[in-house]
Amino acid sequence: MLDFLLIFRVLVFPGFTFILFFTLFCDWVERKIEARMQNRVGPAVAGPAGILQPLADFIKLLTKEEIIPRDAKKNIFRIAPIIAFSVMVFAICFLPIDGSSAISMSGFTGDLIFIMALVTVANFFLFMSGWASSNPYGGIGAARVLTQFLGYDIPLFLLALTPAFLAGSLTISAIAASQYLPFILLAPWGFVLFIIALQAELEKDPFDIPHAESEVVGGLETEYCGGKLAFLHLTRDVQIVLGAALVVELFLGGPYGPVFFGLPAFWYSLWFVLKVLAVVIVTEYVTCLFARLRIDQVLTANWRMLLPLSVLSLALTVAMATYVYPMVV
Amino acid sequence: MSKLATWARLKSPWVLHFNSGACNGCDIEVVALLTPRFDVERFGIKLEPSPRHADVLLTTGAVTKQCAERLKRIYDQMPEPKFVVAIGACACSGGVFKGNYTVAGGVDKVIPVNAYIPGCPPKPEAIIDGVVKLLNSLKAPKTEAKVNDSK
Ligand code: SF4
Repeated sequence: MLDFLLIFRVLVFPGFTFILFFTLFCDWVERKIEARMQNRVGPAVAGPAGILQPLADFIKLLTKEEIIPRDAKKNIFRIAPIIAFSVMVFAICFLPIDGSSAISMSGFTGDLIFIMALVTVANFFLFMSGWASSNPYGGIGAARVLTQFLGYDIPLFLLALTPAFLAGSLTISAIAASQYLPFILLAPWGFVLFIIALQAELEKDPFDIPHAESEVVGGLETEYCGGKLAFLHLTRDVQIVLGAALVVELFLGGPYGPVFFGLPAFWYSLWFVLKVLAVVIVTEYVTCLFARLRIDQVLTANWRMLLPLSVLSLALTVAMATYVYPMVV
Repeated sequence: MSKLATWARLKSPWVLHFNSGACNGCDIEVVALLTPRFDVERFGIKLEPSPRHADVLLTTGAVTKQCAERLKRIYDQMPEPKFVVAIGACACSGGVFKGNYTVAGGVDKVIPVNAYIPGCPPKPEAIIDGVVKLLNSLKAPKTEAKVNDSK
């Protein structure tokens, strides 16, 4: 009995199937917002208001011919995109979505660090996929993924510790559950910096250097086609959902919100979806507003500004949490 | 299953633009497709940077002898199923450059072409119309996809 429930939770809701369709939906929302910001209509023909567009792209890519370049490292070329995708989905499975995470009873002390580590591993597999394609553009794109990664990883980690300090725990579910007052109100500086660092992690403007079309063709996905390309695209979209979900869990009170009637799980999922959509909209808004930086500018900005600022934000948070908030809250 | 695949292909044709010797007139028109006024993303059409990602190859201009080999290589790099649309009088037949000693001729001298869109340069509407007609010809797969749009 328990096993059936676990399988259902992992495979259907709030596990794999839910994440897959939610990801495609977020992709559609992003494309629509980008189009509207540019005074265009955006996808409009596939399904009502083009809502099936990401699904159509996905299916089409799956049905295309698979080409493996002669010089590519064939096994890595084949499996790296799928592993990157799976690791991302695996990381989402640890986030509480309908009050508990997909793998129930999986919340353990320090799973925040575990999830950040999973994101790192997934990024490394993205690098491998580009490197294995033996294409100069793919190689440059892959190297850029790692270079950019050097810049934002440490600030992102430090900033993720801000809510952990406020909650006094490294467990994501505990952090989410302890936010009677969302941490965005208690530490707005941390939230703003986290969004900026996240923008770099998600490879979106102004940090979309790894796949800058006008410079490196398609970046690490230059040589990919068919199903493998579909999974690379999906990895990027899942990464955006994962990043947005992390913001929700750490700063926006997680899936918790008012329960009006009926099952709390339903309301929690609804709040989760709405909050993630809000974060996705914010990041896409930032993407549309800014132009791309150069890779050296990104690294300088991250090491000279973002890193000191995140240390400062952490110190400020610790000071506030120790001296000020106990008196007020 | 194949119905689903056809639907997906119809709804998401990703295009690659290749200039094999055009005067840049047709290229401007192709780029105009992406602007807010025409916005081909409505139909799921996306301009892709790499031939590996593309379904439709939009070629402009007469094929110069030097470019012929490159055009063929780009075509070979695209994964099946793939389609070629020749945009502009030059790409269709060589146009005003026909018979020139540096020009091999129209695009169909080098690679198979699925749709011809004449005009010098063709209007963006004509290009959209040509691509849509090409896609609709997918629905009945046996017939030869030769679309001649005389706008
Ligand atoms: S058809 Fe006309 S506009 Fe197009 S490339 Fe030829 S000469 Fe230029």
